[in-house]
Amino acid sequence: MTFAQPWLLLGTAAALIPLAVHLFDRRKPRPHPFAAIAFVLRSQRRTASRLKLKRLILYTLRTLILLAIPVALARPELRRPGTAVSRAAGPAATVVVVDRGLAMRFVDGQSLFEKARTEARSVIAGLGPEDPVTVLPCGPEVTPPTAPGLDRREARETLDRMVPAWSTADLGRCFEVAARALEESPTAGKRIVVVSAFTASSLRLETPLPTLRGPGDKRVRPEMVLRDVARGRKVLPNHFIADLKAEPAPQAGARSVQVSFTVRNVSDAPAGEIQATVELAGRVVGKTFLSLTAGGTAQKTLTVRSDAGGPVAGAVTLTPDGLVEDDRRDFVVQVPRELRALVVDGSPSPVRYRDEVFFLEAALSAPSSPIRPVVKDATAGLREPLDGIDVVVLANVPAPLPEEVARLKAFVERGGGLFISMGDKVEPEPWTQRMGELLPRPLRLVKAAGSEAGAGDGRQAKLGDVHWGDPLFAPFSGRGREGLMGARFQRYMLVEGGPRADGSEVLAAYDDGAPAFITARRGRGRVLLFSSTLDRDWGDFAIRTSYLPLMQRAAAWLAGALDERETLEGRVGQTVVLRPDPQAQVTMVKAPSGAAVPVRVEPDHGLQIGPLPEPGLYRTYDAAAQLVPGSQFAVTLDPADSDLTRLDEGQLQAYFGEEAVRGPGGTADRRVPMWTWLVVTAALAFFAEGLLLRKP
Amino acid sequence: MTSLDAATLAKIAGVKLRARAVMEGVLSGLHKSPHQGQSVEFSEHKEYAPGDELRHLDWKAFGKFDRYYIKRYEHETNLKATLVVDASGSMGYRSGPLSKLEVATTLAGTLAYLLVRQQDAVGVSVVTRAGAADVPPRAAAGHLHTVLDALDSLQPVGGTDLFAAADHLAERVRRGQLVVVLSDLFDDRDEALARILALRARRNDLVLFHVLDPAELEFPFDDPTLFLSLEDERRIEVNAREIRESYLEEFRAFLDRTRTACTEADVDYMLVRTDEPLDAVLLRFLGRRQRRAA
Repeated sequence: MTFAQPWLLLGTAAALIPLAVHLFDRRKPRPHPFAAIAFVLRSQRRTASRLKLKRLILYTLRTLILLAIPVALARPELRRPGTAVSRAAGPAATVVVVDRGLAMRFVDGQSLFEKARTEARSVIAGLGPEDPVTVLPCGPEVTPPTAPGLDRREARETLDRMVPAWSTADLGRCFEVAARALEESPTAGKRIVVVSAFTASSLRLETPLPTLRGPGDKRVRPEMVLRDVARGRKVLPNHFIADLKAEPAPQAGARSVQVSFTVRNVSDAPAGEIQATVELAGRVVGKTFLSLTAGGTAQKTLTVRSDAGGPVAGAVTLTPDGLVEDDRRDFVVQVPRELRALVVDGSPSPVRYRDEVFFLEAALSAPSSPIRPVVKDATAGLREPLDGIDVVVLANVPAPLPEEVARLKAFVERGGGLFISMGDKVEPEPWTQRMGELLPRPLRLVKAAGSEAGAGDGRQAKLGDVHWGDPLFAPFSGRGREGLMGARFQRYMLVEGGPRADGSEVLAAYDDGAPAFITARRGRGRVLLFSSTLDRDWGDFAIRTSYLPLMQRAAAWLAGALDERETLEGRVGQTVVLRPDPQAQVTMVKAPSGAAVPVRVEPDHGLQIGPLPEPGLYRTYDAAAQLVPGSQFAVTLDPADSDLTRLDEGQLQAYFGEEAVRGPGGTADRRVPMWTWLVVTAALAFFAEGLLLRKP
Repeated sequence: MTSLDAATLAKIAGVKLRARAVMEGVLSGLHKSPHQGQSVEFSEHKEYAPGDELRHLDWKAFGKFDRYYIKRYEHETNLKATLVVDASGSMGYRSGPLSKLEVATTLAGTLAYLLVRQQDAVGVSVVTRAGAADVPPRAAAGHLHTVLDALDSLQPVGGTDLFAAADHLAERVRRGQLVVVLSDLFDDRDEALARILALRARRNDLVLFHVLDPAELEFPFDDPTLFLSLEDERRIEVNAREIRESYLEEFRAFLDRTRTACTEADVDYMLVRTDEPLDAVLLRFLGRRQRRAA
């Protein structure tokens, strides 16, 4: 116990007054002859023990009163090991920096966040009555606190309002902000109390501690007091999903998804039998177990099958540990949906490999392909009902009749895809006349670029200018791109060149500049014109390795399936740009907790969403508050934040100084003011004495 | 009627004068005597029986009826009263102008005046621990001076011995006599009062004047006090304020016990404070007796 005004303890001598009065103030009793002395004797006998006790209590109470008052005036404080704020000489303005970073969500019986809040309350209670105080919740972003004041209620309310963040706190930045707040206080003493778990990621040790303007504009360092809420733990053992990738697995069958994830164990002990569960659309579709060495990582890949196509939300969940928030990771995967293609064969042949669509059918109906082709000859195919068809392929088909053209036009404008390839059955003039509204470019004539036998100018054409950034060609890189560029064409249809106002676009051209793949939007659908043949009649493209993926991709692209594959993934605290379907009017985005996330429309009509407040699955809504399908996206934690490795005492001492870590005198004591209790005790004793005196 | 208060009465020296003064006050306030006084009026006839005094034979009745009748007269119902005065040391206590003994003797003297005035016989019995001194009851007018002298000469001394007094009275007092006891009843023995009240069982008319000082009833002491016994060597030093409540409790219990015992024994009980006017006390007493006789 310590005393602020120890000299006032001299007043405790007053406690001897009742004893002195008892000893020296013995008044001589007045003799009085009395007849009823027998009654006096009886009364005295009856009350003697009670009166003796009463006198003893009165003496004690009076002594207590006279003892408590000078002791209270001396302002005693009780030291409690490890809980009090070290006391500078005189009052000190105090900023209590409370870590609310992701690590504080770690549960060790009680969450570190709640421990920190309790510790901060205790720190505030332990401050002297003349110490101004403010609370600075320290997260990834820091808001300057109010100036330190004597109103404890505001500080407590700040603590009550505080919520844990989803990213690591930036303690260094918080110290800077706290130092600025302390500069505003006129109190001479300056103190920063840090309540944290002191994880390595929360503090950059290379950044020096802040200084503030002291007396005479001299830069001084504030007194630093550390409160470690993870005392006694060298590490906060944590396993978490460090990485996750979910993508379609066509090789495993339609609607198959391959989920690969990496789990890391940040601990000084191995973690065995961690169960990982994969969910798709809310249904558990796979489970596996992992064993991790201390500080080790493990990667797992699970191939699962989705019930539905299109964008599907999923999650991987691990056996929970102290920090459950990073034991689950959401994702959205575009599961290829099954496409139906009507292939109109303009040049069928009883010899299979000579058939116009032999290679195309084989490419589209490959086991991994989501496309189900139906092959019809020109006569039947052009009359076939187009309901339920996603893509129509006109392979070397003579010019359709006007009513067939009308049906095709209606089909495309409804959103269907039309693939047109050339051949000897395609006559440019009638085609252009009848299909002019659908064709990206009018057909002109067939150009012979050479032959295997050296016909023409003797040089076969190959693709030259390709828009690799276009979704159609985007996957082709490396050997895939070489394969595509290796295709040779002896003939191809020349089309009208130059820029056009109808929005048609040449996606790839031959090396002579003639368009090879031309696309155009017609209504809600797309038309893709390939100016050569799909079989080997006009070139060897059909037998190139790039043929199969390009045909499958072209079919998917025409059906709009490639657009759906653009999935977003964001990090907590960052922003993402969503480019939804132009028809979808996204006006609101909600976080997993239901909270609205700020949305800003960018000049290119993309939606900038964020900052993203929490991990999980975000959903988008239109103006009518209806869910916009296909626009959901997952937001994940930064794996670096899940590394809860703690700074050891040596590092803390090197950074903050030994006194800050251990407290003055080697012990970080909390001083509990006792004088209020003493005053209350004296008042109670005074009250009790009054009661005893009133009662005979 | 003008009552004589204790202070005025204290200024009158001697029991004789005080008693007379009180008696005058009593007589002025008395509307009707409870006794018929001296009377030789014929009361009734009784047929003669052997042993009756012949001088009371009604010869006229014999002439008329040829039978012997004895005439009976009122004077034959006259009262004999013994005034028992406690003269123990405790009776000497006073917190006001009159001690309890002075009040008791004044009351006794006044009663003697009244009784003699009615041709009743009155005697005195003085009770002390040393023994009892008696003046036998007589109705003669000159006897009153003897009684008053005996009362006047009393000094408070020694302890209270109601026990012995009761035994003494039982021997001396005839059945049917009026016994008036004037005492503070401060006898430590619980059965002492019962012994006194036992006189009632002998068909004596018993009246008890319980004479107490106001200080004994109210215990008005505050400071530390050394209380000294008036009868023996007992003494005790107490903080009077601390024991006051307990004392009053004890004393009230004592009064309640006494009252209850008197009521149960059909004894006339009068609590007399030494600071109240004695004529008022006697009038109250006489009024009660009158109601009782009616």
